[in-house]
Amino acid sequence: MSRLHDMGGRFGDGPISIPRDNDNEITKSEPTFKYEWHAKAWAITLAAGALGEWNLDVSRHYRECLPPKDYINFSYYEKWLAALTNLLIDKKLISLTELKEYVSAAENGTIKKISDNNIKLDQRTWLAKDVQKTLGWGGPSIREINISPVFNIGDKVITQNYSPNKDVNGGHTRLPKYAMGRVGVIHSYKNNHVFPDKNAHGLGENPLPLYTVEFKSSELWGELAENQNDSILLDLWEPYLNRFPN
Amino acid sequence: MSEKKNFSGDYHHQHDHAHSHLPSDPELRVKALETLLLNKGLIDSETLDELIDTYENRIGPKNGAKVVAKAWVDPEYKKRLLNDATSAIRELSYQGRQGENMVVVENTPETHNVIVCTLCSCYPWPVLGIPPTWYKSDEYRSRTVREPRKVLLEFGLSLNPKVQIKVWDSTAEIRYLVLPMRPKGTENMDESGLAKLVTRNSMIGTGLPKEIK
Repeated sequence: MSRLHDMGGRFGDGPISIPRDNDNEITKSEPTFKYEWHAKAWAITLAAGALGEWNLDVSRHYRECLPPKDYINFSYYEKWLAALTNLLIDKKLISLTELKEYVSAAENGTIKKISDNNIKLDQRTWLAKDVQKTLGWGGPSIREINISPVFNIGDKVITQNYSPNKDVNGGHTRLPKYAMGRVGVIHSYKNNHVFPDKNAHGLGENPLPLYTVEFKSSELWGELAENQNDSILLDLWEPYLNRFPN
Repeated sequence: MSEKKNFSGDYHHQHDHAHSHLPSDPELRVKALETLLLNKGLIDSETLDELIDTYENRIGPKNGAKVVAKAWVDPEYKKRLLNDATSAIRELSYQGRQGENMVVVENTPETHNVIVCTLCSCYPWPVLGIPPTWYKSDEYRSRTVREPRKVLLEFGLSLNPKVQIKVWDSTAEIRYLVLPMRPKGTENMDESGLAKLVTRNSMIGTGLPKEIK
């Protein structure tokens, strides 16, 4: 069971649209943002996130929870905008009345930014002078806690099947469907990281051991595997894994 | 019966899909949201400008290219890079958002590495910037894990069947960068010359560095 965002391995997607220049060479430099509204959608999402009302896992889950019809039809940054809108309403940073008011003002051309002097900045608002500092720090997900990993490098493991999130039906998870119920080998241990399955639902960070797990292409795709030697590696939290009897 | 808490994540049923009230034109959607947030003092326009300027002009694949070129000329640096990429990349002052935990994977004559994020669009921002549209596309996300060789062919890359492909699906907060092989005939080139050969796609695994003519 999964959602539309979990698309690894599915059938039906055609050729990748790769920009090419006049000589049919792959373009080396595409614009960072194709349209100004892409840049704005991206920047307001980051700036609103900096208010601290939600974390990265929550915002990912909001995008994943868009109704399937919308998820399919929306372009990348349209998904961001829709999820941001739902977050802003749910976290009560804006009201539905305000949203409707600004939407109709935008549509009939009467929308207006009030002058900076008349704006009272919220104390949580991310200021330009802090941008580089905050970006440089980022949002590390490693937590220095004393948990020993259960698995060792080289151990055989089998991934959870059907529904990895044990707290929330249909909840957020980072175990893709294509790698559920499959046997892999622990490639490396990556320290203890905030567990998205809980963190996306306000259930705390609950940091847990994270491993890189290597799967043979034949284990994932059977006879469809392009080349038996190829492998696919995923970063998986300990609760996604069970020991596979040798 | 299951004791699971039943806030299944489908939050929006509570309020009739707030996002459905947005205008159909995405430019107007942005305009409405941006203006509302600015007027409420929840975002600052100078911050938006600073963010966009940073990723349009300062953070991008040129950063990653410098990391790769340094690894090509400095064996000790390469060792540090493969051992602890986050620290080694920080030596060049690249760090932070979406690159907090870096891993560099090395291409060799036997192994070719490719990076994807099937669940969203995870990408190492401090060294590569904002991902290109194709990296975020359904086609790349769905197909790369199942048929990497066909995907690479679309990028003009034909790999010998004896070369093993390793596809790294960025499912957690580890961010990957491919260290491509140094092109032949570049023995006399210096670091800055070499950096110019390193393409963005060669650091994702969907391309190779430029050859010298």
